[in-house]
Amino acid sequence: MIEFRLVWKQYQKPAWALSDVSFTIDAGEMCFITGPSGSGKSTLLRLITRECAPTDGQILVGGTDIRRIPASKIFLLRRAMGVVFQDFRLLPERRVFDNVAVPLRVLGLPAKDIKRKVFIALRMVGLHHRIWNTPAELSYGEQQRVAIARAVVNNPRLLLADEPTGNLDPDLASEIMALFREINRQGTTVVICTHDRDIIRKFAGRVLPLREGRLRERGTE
Amino acid sequence: MIGRTIGRAFRDAFGHLGRAKTRHAVSFTVLVLSFLMAGLFLSLSNNLRARARTLSRDMAVIVYLKGAATPEERNAVEQRARLSPLVASIRSIGPEDAADRFIKEFPDLKDVLENLGGNPLPASIEATLNDATAPEAPVVRLIDEIRAMPGVEDIQFNRRWADRIRALGRLSDAVGLFIGGLLILISIAVVSGAIRLNILGRREEIDILHLVGATNGYIRSPFLLEGLILGAAGGATAAGLVSLAAHLFPLYLGQSLGALQDLIGFEPLTLVQFAGLVAGGGIAGLLGSLAALGRVFRS
Repeated sequence: MIEFRLVWKQYQKPAWALSDVSFTIDAGEMCFITGPSGSGKSTLLRLITRECAPTDGQILVGGTDIRRIPASKIFLLRRAMGVVFQDFRLLPERRVFDNVAVPLRVLGLPAKDIKRKVFIALRMVGLHHRIWNTPAELSYGEQQRVAIARAVVNNPRLLLADEPTGNLDPDLASEIMALFREINRQGTTVVICTHDRDIIRKFAGRVLPLREGRLRERGTE
Repeated sequence: MIGRTIGRAFRDAFGHLGRAKTRHAVSFTVLVLSFLMAGLFLSLSNNLRARARTLSRDMAVIVYLKGAATPEERNAVEQRARLSPLVASIRSIGPEDAADRFIKEFPDLKDVLENLGGNPLPASIEATLNDATAPEAPVVRLIDEIRAMPGVEDIQFNRRWADRIRALGRLSDAVGLFIGGLLILISIAVVSGAIRLNILGRREEIDILHLVGATNGYIRSPFLLEGLILGAAGGATAAGLVSLAAHLFPLYLGQSLGALQDLIGFEPLTLVQFAGLVAGGGIAGLLGSLAALGRVFRS
C-alpha cells in the first residue's frame, strides 16, 4: 500500500527532516509511526498526502509513484485516503453533519447518498444522535470521533492519523484507538503517528520508530 | 453532477457574502460609486449626442442681415440661396419675428429684451439644407459667396454647433472613461482586498478541502462567484441610479440651469449601456477575485 524508498526530506539547510527512510506498509495493515516531537512523524504523513515532496527518494502509494502525479491530479490521490489530526480540524460554524459530509460534497454525490453515508459513518463512531450539533457543543473525544467519521465517510483504502489521541485523556484515547482498530478490521490500512507508548503497547501493531528523521529499526510487532 | 457543483458554488458564494458584511458593504459601495461615475458621464454623452442629432436634423445656414440692408440686397441674398441645389427651402425672418422667437425660447430673458429700449435682433434668412450629412465644402463655398454680398452682417452654420456638441460628447466619453476607469481599477483592488481577507479567514476550511481531495476549481469557484455577484450587483445598482438621475434631474435641478439645461442633462441609458454597466461590474468583481486568489494561492 505504501512504500518509501530511500526518502530524504529537507525543508531548510542544513537540517534534514527525514534521512534515508525506507519501509513498506502492506494493504490492510495497522501501523504506528512513533518518535518524540520533531522526529519527522508529521513530515512523513505530509509526504504521503503530497502536501510536500521528498527532496530525494521515491514514495509509492497503491503502486503509484506519487512524485510523478501532476499538481492538478493530486486531488485523486487524496480522495483515496482519510486524514485525522490531533486538533481535529473541524469547521466550527458547521454542524456535525456538514463536517462529515465535506468529502462527499467534494465528490458531487447526490444529497440522498450524502445523508445515508454520513449517517452510517456517524453511527460507526457512535455519534449519530449528535448529527445536528456544532463542534463546540461536543467534548474533545466526540470531536475527534467526528473527525474520524469525516476521514472514513468515503470508505478510503488508507487512513492516516497524526497524533489522534494527543488532546485526549487515557480513557478517551483508548476509545479512539479501539475505533481505529475496528476500521482496520474492516480492511482499511491505518497509519497512526503517535508518541504515546502506552497506546502502542495496548493496541498491538507494527511499529516504525523515528528518531531525528531516521528510521531506527524495521517492523517491530 | 455539474448542476450540483454549480449550485454548491452559488450557495457557498452567497454564504461568504452573508458572513463578512462590513467588508462586502465597503467593496459594494466603492463599486457602485465607480460605475455610477462612468454611467453618469455616459448618460451625459447620450444627452449631448441627442442634442447634436436634433441640431443636425434641421441643419440650416442662417444669414444675418445688416440693419441698413435694402430690400434689393435682401432679395439678392434670397435669390442666391434659392439657386443653390444644396438648399431645400428659404425662410425670411424679420426683426420682430426674431424677437418673438427669442421670447418664446427664452421666456426668462423677456425683461432683458424689453429693457434694451429697442429690438437689437437683426433680420435674417434661414436656408434649410437638403441633406444634413452632405459634405461641408460646397456649403462653405456657398456661405463664403453669400458673406461677400452687400447687406450681409454675419452667417451662422449650425452644423458647426452640432459638430462642437458631438465633440463635447466625445470629451465627456473620454473623461468618463478616464475617471470611471481609474475608479474601477480602485474598486477592483478593494474587491480583491475583501475577497483576500475572506480567503485568509477560511484558510482552515480550504486546507481541509485540499486534504479531502477537492479540486482547485471546487475551492476557488465560490470566491470567483462572490466577486462576480458583488461586481454585477454594484454595476446594476449604479446603472439603476443613473437611470433614476436621468428621470429626476430635469424635474429638480434641470430648471435651475436655464438655457444650459439642453447641454447639461442626463439621457436614460440604452439597454446595451445598462447591460454593459452590469457586465462591467461583474468583470471588475471577477478580476478582483482572480487577483485575490492569485495572491493567496501563490503565497
